[in-house]
Amino acid sequence: MRRFLFRNGLSLSFGALFVATLVGQAFAGVADFNDNRVANGLDPISLGRFVTSSNFGADVMENWQSEYLQFFLYIFATVWLIQLGSSESKEAHKRGTESDEEQKVGKYAQADSPAWVKAGGWRTTLYSRSLGFVMLALFLLTWTASAVAGWGAFNNEQLMSHEDPVTFVGYLVHADFWNRTLQNWQSEMLAVGSMAIFSVYLRQRGSPESKPVGTPHKDTGQTG
Amino acid sequence: MKGVRAVYVLYLVMILFGIGYCTALGLLGR
Repeated sequence: MRRFLFRNGLSLSFGALFVATLVGQAFAGVADFNDNRVANGLDPISLGRFVTSSNFGADVMENWQSEYLQFFLYIFATVWLIQLGSSESKEAHKRGTESDEEQKVGKYAQADSPAWVKAGGWRTTLYSRSLGFVMLALFLLTWTASAVAGWGAFNNEQLMSHEDPVTFVGYLVHADFWNRTLQNWQSEMLAVGSMAIFSVYLRQRGSPESKPVGTPHKDTGQTG
Repeated sequence: MKGVRAVYVLYLVMILFGIGYCTALGLLGR
């Protein structure tokens, strides 16, 4: 068990932090939601009722979708775009999808390469882009979920203020949906851009996200 | 690598459950 925890420390720690912060969001969310209800002359709702509301679902999904968009864009953009001096970037001459030899595919596959690499054909082509594709699929799924849950939450608010509910398509072109979406996208783009450029001049000793401390600013890539 | 694969599957299940759960809340109009 200790060996399992040690070997998966990074994923398990963030998984635990995710659960803890989601619980925190539920408690803070119901308190905020009830403040609004009381101000509108309505009875407060329980925590259980709040975490099974479309309002909670929309709040969760609108943040998830932007994270997966960020990773999808970053994974594909870093194949083609470089940032001189960044630990997040490849060196300029490695731009693009690189050779089969560098990527260990085709006749350069190794005995212990993943099965779909050794299989060749469409399976290797698909597997070669699987990380980006899964991030794209998760972005599209979470964005759709955020739209559906946001629609439910929006219509509940419409009914609370005695206004007409909107259709799903109506919600997709409504300012509420785009405000929820874009306020999350903008923060992700800023964070990614900051990471790309800050890692040129700043260091974190021992982190694989940083170049080694003594590496010159002009050196690009993980190895410095 | 068995333990690592278990964590990988756990993440996928957690994410897909979250997506399904939140979509259902919206569809039910809760």
